[in-house]
Parts: sequence; C-alpha cells; structure tokens
Amino acid sequence: MSRGVLQGVGLVRRYGGLTAVDHVDLVAPPGMITGLIGPNGAGKSTLFSLLTGVEQPDEGQVLLGTTDISRMRPDIRSRRGLVQTFQVPSLFPTLTVADNLLVGAENRRRDYAGGLLGLSAQGRGRVSRTLGGLLERTGLAPKGPVDQVVEEVLASLGLSDIRDTVAGTLPTGALRLVEFARALCAQPDVLLLDEPASGLDNAETAKLAQLLRQTAARGVGILIVDHDVDLVFSVVDQVYAMVGGKVVASGDPQTVRDDPTVRSVYLAQAPLAAAGQAQERS
Amino acid sequence: MTSIDLGLAGISLGAIAALSGIGLLVTYRTNGVLNLAQGGIATLVAYVFREMVVEWGLPIWLAAVLALGVLSPGIGLLLERLVFRPLARRRASAAESLVASLGVLVLILGITAGLWGLGSRSDAPSIFPADSVRLFGQTRIGVDALAELAMVVVFAIVIGLISARTSFGRQIRAVVDDRQLAELSGVPADRVAAAGWAAGTTLAGLTGVLLAPRFQLNPYGLTLLVLETFAVVVAARLSSMPVAVLTALGISILQSELRQFTLDGDAGQILTVLQSNLFIVALLILLLAVPKLRELGGGDSGATSSFSSRGAPPSGRVGEARYRRDYLGKLGGFALLLAPLTFAPSDLRSAFQVPALALIFLSMVIVTGYSGQISLGVAGFAGLGALLSLKLANGELFGLPALPGIWAMLVGALLVAPVGLITGYPAIRRRGLTLALTTFAVGAVVSRFVFEQPTFASGLYIDPLTVFGHALSDKAFYILELLSLGLGLLVVRNLHHGRLGRALLAVRDHSSGAAAVGVDVRNLKLLAFTVSSVVAGLGGALLVHSSYSFAADDFAPLQSLLWFTAVVVFGADSAIGAIVAAAFIVTIDVLAPAGTSTLAIGILALALGWMPGGLASAVRGVLRLLAQYLADSFVDPNQRAPRPVPVRISAVGHLPATAGIVGNTGLPGIGATLGAARSGHVTRWPLSEGALGPLAGAPAPTPFGAALVAAVARYAAAQADQVTRVSGSTNGSGSDGALVGSAAATGSAPAAGTAARPSTASGTGMGAGSGAGTGVRR
Repeated sequence: MSRGVLQGVGLVRRYGGLTAVDHVDLVAPPGMITGLIGPNGAGKSTLFSLLTGVEQPDEGQVLLGTTDISRMRPDIRSRRGLVQTFQVPSLFPTLTVADNLLVGAENRRRDYAGGLLGLSAQGRGRVSRTLGGLLERTGLAPKGPVDQVVEEVLASLGLSDIRDTVAGTLPTGALRLVEFARALCAQPDVLLLDEPASGLDNAETAKLAQLLRQTAARGVGILIVDHDVDLVFSVVDQVYAMVGGKVVASGDPQTVRDDPTVRSVYLAQAPLAAAGQAQERS
Repeated sequence: MTSIDLGLAGISLGAIAALSGIGLLVTYRTNGVLNLAQGGIATLVAYVFREMVVEWGLPIWLAAVLALGVLSPGIGLLLERLVFRPLARRRASAAESLVASLGVLVLILGITAGLWGLGSRSDAPSIFPADSVRLFGQTRIGVDALAELAMVVVFAIVIGLISARTSFGRQIRAVVDDRQLAELSGVPADRVAAAGWAAGTTLAGLTGVLLAPRFQLNPYGLTLLVLETFAVVVAARLSSMPVAVLTALGISILQSELRQFTLDGDAGQILTVLQSNLFIVALLILLLAVPKLRELGGGDSGATSSFSSRGAPPSGRVGEARYRRDYLGKLGGFALLLAPLTFAPSDLRSAFQVPALALIFLSMVIVTGYSGQISLGVAGFAGLGALLSLKLANGELFGLPALPGIWAMLVGALLVAPVGLITGYPAIRRRGLTLALTTFAVGAVVSRFVFEQPTFASGLYIDPLTVFGHALSDKAFYILELLSLGLGLLVVRNLHHGRLGRALLAVRDHSSGAAAVGVDVRNLKLLAFTVSSVVAGLGGALLVHSSYSFAADDFAPLQSLLWFTAVVVFGADSAIGAIVAAAFIVTIDVLAPAGTSTLAIGILALALGWMPGGLASAVRGVLRLLAQYLADSFVDPNQRAPRPVPVRISAVGHLPATAGIVGNTGLPGIGATLGAARSGHVTRWPLSEGALGPLAGAPAPTPFGAALVAAVARYAAAQADQVTRVSGSTNGSGSDGALVGSAAATGSAPAAGTAARPSTASGTGMGAGSGAGTGVRR
C-alpha cells in the first residue's frame, strides 16, 4: 500500500487574504478513479496545482506513497510516477506523435550526459546498467524498453496510423488522446487529468471514459478534475466535492450527489440533475 | 564639487533617461512591443538633426521641429504600418515582435553607419543654450537640466491624463488587451497603435537629440546608451510611469554622486567603471531582483518555436531515410567550406572569420533554435572565450603556466562554461523578454567591466599557433578552424538527436508539458546555456586568432543583437543556416563598405514576417516547390506518385475526404494500382478500415486495363492544345465526382471489361478520348 497512493493531507493555499484551498484532505488510491468537482472558484484548480507541483502548499503535505513530495518540482514528481495532463492539450507541436510519446516514455530516467557525449545505444546501455541498481533503489528505473512501451500504447489507443504525423497538425480531439497516450507512456502510478473532456464531442467523451476505466483496471490511480459532471459521475469510483476551498462532501458518487450541501450548490444547475437522473434510471 | 552640485549635474541625464523610459512604456502599453529599436531611432534622429544644423546650416529651432515633429513620428508611423501592423494582424507572438524590433534596430544601425560611417562626431548641436540658473548661494543648475525636467513632468502628466481620463485611454487598454476584440467593438485599433508608435519614436528622437551633445555621436555608442535606459522600464515592471521617472533620476543622481569618491586598487577601478555605467549594472540587478515583469498577453514571449519551424529528425525508419538523403547536401557544403584553401593568401585570411563566426552562431542555434531561449549576450561569451584563451596562452591567468596556443583555446572555451551556467540560472524561471534583457545585460556588463578594462584586456599578445613546435601556416590554421567547426557541429548534432534532442525540443515547444512527463526542464536549460557558452567561447578564441587582435568592439553588446538577428534570419534551428549566415556576413564585410552587412541583415529581418522560419525554411520551401515543378514537367503523369492531399480530419478515427485523393490523380481506376504508393501518404492520417472503403472498393484494373489507361492518358496529353476542363461528372466508376473527359471512358473500361471484352473496352477508350477531345493536365 506504500507505492502509488496519492494523498493530500491538510493542504492549505492562501493568496493574500483569500484561502483558496482550506485544509483539504484527499486520497487517490491505485486502481480507482477519483473525481474532484465544484463550481467555479471552489479551489479545484489550485488544489490540482498543489498536487502537480506547479504551486506549493502553505501548510500540509502531498504524499506519494510514503514520500512527502510537497516541495518537489513537477518534473521530479512526474519521474516518481505522478503524471498530469492539461486543460489545454500540451503536446510538442513540432514533434511527431510517436516522438511525443517517446519523450513521455524516456524521461522517467535521466542520462542526458550520455546523449551529449554521443555514446552509442550500447555504450549508454552499459552506463545505464551500471546506474541501474542505483535507479532501482530510488524508484526511478524504467519499467520496460522505451520503444516497446510507445508501440503498445499507440496500438492500444488506435493511434498507430498517425504515429508519424507532426502533432501540431492534429485536431483537438486527437490532441487530447495523444496527450493522454503520452501520459500513459510515462508509466504513471497516478494520473492527474485536468478537464480531460473539454473540447471533445459525445462520442469522443464516451471513448475517453472507456479508456479511463481500462487504465484504472491496470492499477493506475486516476484523479479527474472536470466541469463535465456527466463524465465525472459516469466513470468515477469516488468523488470529492469542493465549495469555497473546502471539501464539503466525499465518498461514492451516490452519496455525494445526495449530499444536501452539494444539492444546494448545484440545485439550479441542470447538468448535475440530468446526470443524476440518468444514473438513477440506469 | 559638493554633493548637491553633483546631484544637480545628474538630473539632466536622469531626465533624458526618464524621457526614453516614457517613450518605451508608451510603445509597450499601446502595442505590446518592447521597442529594442528605440536606441537606433534615437541615433538616427540625432544624426539627421546634426546634419541639418551643421551641414545644411538650418536654424536650430527649425531643425528641431523637423527632426522631432516630422521625422521622429514619421518613423513611428512607418514602422507601425509596414512592420508591426502585419504582425499584430496575424497575432504574432511577442517573441516575433521582439525580433522584428531587433530587425528594425539592425536596419537603422546599418543605415546610420552606411550614411555617416562608424566614426565619432563631437559637434552635435544642443537645443538648449549652455547657460545655467542660480538656485541658491553658489549652486547653479543648467538650463538644459531644467528644461528636460520640465519636459519629463509635462509628458508624464499628459500621458497619465490621456490614459486615465479620456476615452482614448480606454481604447488603448482595449486594444492592448485584445486587438481583434477591440476592433469588433468599434475601436480604431490601427489608429491607437499608430499613435502609440508615433509618440514612442518621438520621445526616442528627443532622447537622441538631447543625448548627442553630451556624448560623442557614434552609431553604436549612442544606441547602447539608450538601450541602457531599459533599466528604467524594468524597474517600472513595464507598467508604472512614475516609477520609471523616479528610477531614472535616482540612478543618474547616484551615478553622479559616485564621482566624489575615489578608492585605491581593484575596488577603485570598479568604482571608476561604475561612475559611468551604473545604468547597465542597475539593469542587470533589477532584472534579477524584480520578481516578474507585467508582460502583456500572458507573457508568452518565450515561445521561440515560431521562428524555429522544424522539429527533431523523426526517430525510426522515416528519420533514417531522410538522414541519408542529407548526406549529399552536407558533402557539398563541406566542399564549399574547403574552397578558401585555394584562395590567394589575403582572401584566405578574410575567410578565417567564417568558421569562427559560424561557431558563435551555432551556439545561438543551441540556445534559441533547439531549446527556445532568447539569448542576447553571446558576444560576452565569445569575448570571454577569446580573452581567457589569450590569457592562458600568455600565462597570465590565475598564475597558471602558459599553455600552447591550441590548448589555450580549448581550455579557455571550457572556462566560459561556469559563466554560461550562471547566466543560465535566471533562464530557469524566466522566458522571453526578461531573459532577453538579462542576457543582454550580462553581455553588456562583461563588456564594460572586463573587455574595456586595460587591466584585463591590454598588453595581450597573440602568438602564432604551433603544433609540435611548428608554426601553423595560414592553410593549416584554416583547417584547424574547420576542425573546430566540425567539433561544434558534432555537439549540435548530439544535442538535436535521440532522447536528448527530443527532450530539448519538448522544453522549447511546451516547457510545462515537458515537465509534466518528467523532462528535467531545469537542467536541460542549464545544459543548453552551458554548452552554448563553450561553443561561443571557442568561436571567440578563433575569431581573435583570425583577426590577430583583441578589440573590445568586436565583442560589444550590440554585436550580440546583430548576431542574434542574423541567426534568426537564416533560420534559428538550422546549423547549416548558421554557417551560411557567417559566410554571408564575412563576404559582405569584405566586399562592401562598413555597415552594409548590418543593413542587409536588417532588411532580411524585416522580411521575416513573410518567412517565419527564417531563410532556412524559406529555402526548404523553395526546394520543395522546385522539386514539385520538375516532377510535374518531366515525369510522365502516369508514373508520378500522387501528391499528398491536404486532408482534414474531423475527429480521431475517420477520414471524410478519401474521394478527393482518387480525384486528384486525375486517373481513376489507376487508384488501386497505386495503392501501395499512396499508402505512404494515407497512413499519415488516422484511417479506420471503414474510411478506406471507397478506395479499396474502387474497381481494380487488370494489367491490361492499367496499360490501356496509360495509353489513353498519353493520348490525352498529346492533345494538350485542346485542353479544357470538364466539369460534369460521369457515371463511370461512380466513386468520385472529379473525373475528367479522357478518363471518363477509361473509368468505365476496367469496370465493364475487366476480363471479358478487352477489344471493346479499347475501342470505347480511344473513341471517347478523341471524340470528346478533352483531357486534363494538372
């Protein structure tokens, strides 16, 4: 139970007089999809930044497994297995899709010096083998040959046909999928997804939901922040609802939906009601 | 002089710096462009003003009205209309605007140097009489200082009132927020932008006219003085006018006050330099200390990908094939670089500068082209490399023993690495404007405090290089240079390929996206800066050896700006472009009067708007077009592989426009035989099986059918004089609507007579071909 659980403990983030995140506790366990909902200004995005490392908490801790990662930079968190995607897809537009994925796959391990010295793959292999034991102990070792990981992900997401397309030319739907693929290539223990469904049509959203379930089934913990409550309630195993910087309700989707505070906040908002009815009917 | 006198003496310079700062802020707040050309404009106006008064004999007031009332705003309007409006129209990134303003600066410097030469003139006229007014006791203040101070107050108040109290001010804010949106709401955005430019350049002109009589009039010197006033706008965080004015006065008065102190030894020397260079030191310190500039437009100005159009060489088989094809070009380039070995001795010596300069340019390709940082301090690194290697060779560095020349060069270049590393640190958190200014300030500080100081940079002698005790001949030295260039290219290649190259490009393209998947953004930026500084240092060392002297001017801060512009013009991400740029500049400098290469680079920089990837990508584009044209002219249309068709995908997984592919070959039916060739294009797009349907379902011709199609097509081509376009579609294969006359019959031929009736099919084909008398050539 040590590796792969993302935990926020008593997280606080203030901007001047405003407390954007107010003593929030949150757990995203492996193999489960966790949702984070709340109206605009509830502090979702700030909490998300605290988890990814874009911002640092004023109080509290972010734990990955048993390690306190509160003060680590985003790239270090990522190499430890906490990988995020962005609200606006953040691909590398001049690289091909396959190369975008390769960047994701290659960077759980650092050996830039080898590349600079122009060491051959074999030479670098020797260097990595020497460092391998060390990396293994720090938990930074890659889990499999890089190319193989990329090909597997490309194939499993149906992206093989566009593997050599330059990412900058893709439409939004494809961008989201490729960004998700890139995150998968980094072999995350926990995936943090910021509004993964924005810009997707219904069919694409459905496909995404299916992908998320498959990914979670492989033992990856997923945390979704999304305005699209339809998506959130249709895929998540547990939900946190935030209002005014605090978590007002948490638990399985049914409990959260029935929570009086959540109801009062969302009462006038049709999507949630519709989602609720849809799920009740099913 | 008392402290008060010194303070009053500082007011005049402070007021001029404040005027310059106000001008910069006005342009920035109305257009979102930090006008690096401010110094160039000031210099040009000062030169014209002097020309009118001294050479033409115009009265000063008339010359002032012409220079400041007509010329200066005219330059602003012209720049807005020709350079910056097109950029704003296509929502160019702040980085592009920055480079455009650099281009303007370089162009104006070229014009000034071309018209008036690079020499200094000390007869610039002053607008104000050289009188002074008694304040109290023996304390007097110059009329000029009072007048300048009054101007600052008037300008600051007027501009403040306009932006805060008038509807025009509101329009300005709207245009800066979102130009397109403002236009949609009826704000005359172009007029607002033009007014901002005119006001900014007028103040720039005023700065130049006021500064010129205080210092010597010299294209580079005066420009640099104005660039130093950027400290003022940095302190103002690009927004607050009162802060800008107070900082300008404060720095200037402090600088003046420093004159009453004298110190002995090294500290004394530093103090002496500070007494005239406080602005540039303040610029560097402020840039490092000010938490964040209030950049407009979200501060995206670090996104240099806009002028580095190319990605990494793709991995896998595609990449290898492309790489092999490049060999020919590389061999050709290498042969050209060897050509100077056959030159006459004097020409060979001129060619010495090409590999040296190319190395310096390569260092910028690393930082700007590959890792996306704007670095305007490369001359500092190059100069340090040169200086350190000379000191090592002379045995004057840290008590180290004298090294043989070649080793001194290599070690000297390596010793630049720590400086590059330190400069890289601000780059971790800073991008764009801030980083550009920081690197510029580093270069300027190094230039002022090291290169221009006699303790460091005089009494150095350059021994001829030796190998095993034999002095290198000119040819051997050139070959040594080429070897060094080869070394630099090797480093660049290793930085651009494989995992490291991808990671660097990822940082350039989207640094937070890169961090999100574990790319070590921080260390990669540091690595790029460090490696780049070493390469530049090596280039600098070679440059000194090729010109047989160390001149501080060769590594002046403005050189960095010129070099950076040249690299961007020739393609920031192209190593070949860097070498071509070096050859271009050296050739022009040898053949044409001083300043011509600057002018040429400036003109090319303004053309960047039309060729965003620089010359390198323009050349790539032209070559592609040429190849296409040759293919169209000489290759039998039947043998031609189909062109890639611009296909838009509406969502992942299906391709709506397959019919277009068939239609575009102009030869239906042949589609299936070309299936293999075409798949090369098709697989670039996400195709599902269903989407391939129309293609796969098209009638497959027999070998005879295909031959028939070819025969008909050739016949149709022979009828070229009757070429017309047939708009109607046919009922032949029915799978696409773009069928054409001669092909119409053949389209039905394979369908109807695949095996059974070859002779009839042939008859129909010929008949239709001649009867309709139409064909299509594309």
